[in-house]
Amino acid sequence: MTPRTLLRLLAIWLGVLSLCSVLIFCSVRLDRARAAQGPYLVSVWERGERSARAVVLSDPERALEEAAARGGAQRVIERIVDSAPIFGHSWLLLGMSMVPAQDGLSATYQGRTAYASPDDLRKLEAYELTFALGPLSLVLGIDVNKVLGALAQELDTEPSELLRHGSLRRFAVSSDVAYPRQVSEADVTLAAVKDSVTSAARYLARNQRRDGSFRYELNALTAGESPDYNYPRHAGATYFLARAGNQFHDAQLLRAARRAGAFMKDRATLRCGEHACIGEGEQTDIGSSALALLSYVELLNGGSEEFRAPALELSQFLRAQQRADGEFQHFYSLSEQHPIDAQTEYYTGEAAFALSRVQRVSGDPKDLEAARRALSFLVARSPWFLGSHYFWGAEHWTCQALADLWQRAPDRVALQFCLDWQAVNRNLQFDSPPAPIFYDGSISRGPFMAPRLTPTGSRMEAAVATLEVARAAGVPASDATLLEQQIKRAFAFLLRYQFTPGPRHLMAKPRLLEGGYPGSASELHVRIDYPQHAGGALLRYWELGAH
Amino acid sequence: MRIVFGVLNVLSALVLLVGVFGVVQPRFWALDLPAAIIALVDLVSALGLLARLPWALRALEVSAWVSFVLGMTIVTLIAITIVFLRGIHGDYGLAALAVSSLIVALLVPYTVLLPALQLLWLKRQRVESRP
Repeated sequence: MTPRTLLRLLAIWLGVLSLCSVLIFCSVRLDRARAAQGPYLVSVWERGERSARAVVLSDPERALEEAAARGGAQRVIERIVDSAPIFGHSWLLLGMSMVPAQDGLSATYQGRTAYASPDDLRKLEAYELTFALGPLSLVLGIDVNKVLGALAQELDTEPSELLRHGSLRRFAVSSDVAYPRQVSEADVTLAAVKDSVTSAARYLARNQRRDGSFRYELNALTAGESPDYNYPRHAGATYFLARAGNQFHDAQLLRAARRAGAFMKDRATLRCGEHACIGEGEQTDIGSSALALLSYVELLNGGSEEFRAPALELSQFLRAQQRADGEFQHFYSLSEQHPIDAQTEYYTGEAAFALSRVQRVSGDPKDLEAARRALSFLVARSPWFLGSHYFWGAEHWTCQALADLWQRAPDRVALQFCLDWQAVNRNLQFDSPPAPIFYDGSISRGPFMAPRLTPTGSRMEAAVATLEVARAAGVPASDATLLEQQIKRAFAFLLRYQFTPGPRHLMAKPRLLEGGYPGSASELHVRIDYPQHAGGALLRYWELGAH
Repeated sequence: MRIVFGVLNVLSALVLLVGVFGVVQPRFWALDLPAAIIALVDLVSALGLLARLPWALRALEVSAWVSFVLGMTIVTLIAITIVFLRGIHGDYGLAALAVSSLIVALLVPYTVLLPALQLLWLKRQRVESRP
């Protein structure tokens, strides 16, 4: 090959590639900002199910009037703003051609057209397909089988036939449903924050069983419950309930927290060698005990003295698990009665925070020293590892431990660590534009997925704790202002998606879900740690403002 | 140049083998197969070049063309994927765009530039060896 031939080849390749790129881009893009021009999708929803659908070109208010007038029925009007073809007849391409929580899909087959609106796709839980590739769990676009199945049923054909011979288009809609709510940074007032925290705590109290346990995970769309349970999350929810009860002097919340605390104290307390610990099965983790300890301390602060002795016992267990370098052995083998020196992401931070909190009631300097050493271990980063500036986890307890320890054992290295982490989180925060307005302030988990509320909430627990210390430590006001703006923008995102009351038309039992925070815009489930983290962050901010 | 290309082909093969089979998990045939083919032809041609075997230049030509075509195909697929996803998701996927561009930038020296240089050198060798 001569240089001239090579250059000619490369020029042809570049030309063809550029042309293909322009054609592909122009064909698939949607203009979501333009004035809506398409037909109206009018749907009537009853008890969380779509009972009627009409597609009209004008006067949508007149469509399905009779069905909409039935008791408990809600009519929803969505208008198609723009649409674009789906390339090829490929399962993979279709899966990657939709924007989660925003796009709908229409299918035309033998002269008939069926529509799966964003509400339909949410109801089908089809916006995210989790795909297992070996040990990796990837979100690979939408769940094509569910969407095609629903459209094929409406068109009286088979999904595979529809994919092969149907004409598919994605579309964007404007909807008259007031969810997500329109909330901006300016709307994040102390009153709004308090309302949100109260309703999140009431969600947990409402979904508590007689024995003190919670409905672990509720699917808002079906009101179905998950059979799973998890003690660290139970303890975390208890901690949040007790804090909300104490701060707002709310007897109902405190009662619920006390029941949840008693559930751990009476049913989940085991013996780990000489000490008490929380868990079940043959192996327990320090996360359950640390979070149980946090909740016991909070319950003690609310006047429940029966938690004093169990709290002191748990603090002894945590200290016994600590290594000389400040790190903890995260597990304990109940069958063999010895610690297991293995680590996971959150437990050291939880233990540091819990030991710091319990020292306020135990008065034991050993608790304070253990918490101080753990914090010091957590924030130590080698100056020789350049990557330490760029690689951060989601661990959000360290900075809460920093704030709790600040008056008794200030750690400037830990403060810098938390300020640096929040700077990274600011970089991960979605800005609108270019992001959709309702995602503004959320923490991104990638451009192809709807952001989740809980990672945003938990990072904000740490952010508010950092703000508290930054102010006390005299960090420049400009840095503190930047941090507070970041927090308020994230809170606006959380408030937008809280079920107050949420998309009631999609819910089987909306009253059960009132006050809950869903997983994301496309995953309308509420697990007990979702209100815990979102509500916990908001409560911290309220405490900071109120005091 | 024989030795330089021989060493570079060994390095390319090692980068591919370690990168794909040592680092990337789990196994996925769509990535494993092209990577294994390129690494194999690179190693064979490197062996020929370094040992001065009679079929060395022929093997280098095969390995250069295989690398060049597969490399261009991969770069094309990545570029089209970027454009497609940007069309679908709008312009807030800047991080994905940056990561994809970085992957292209890392691939080009091994899969496009090196084989192109080898093909140019082979042409020159042929011209010079004509009587």
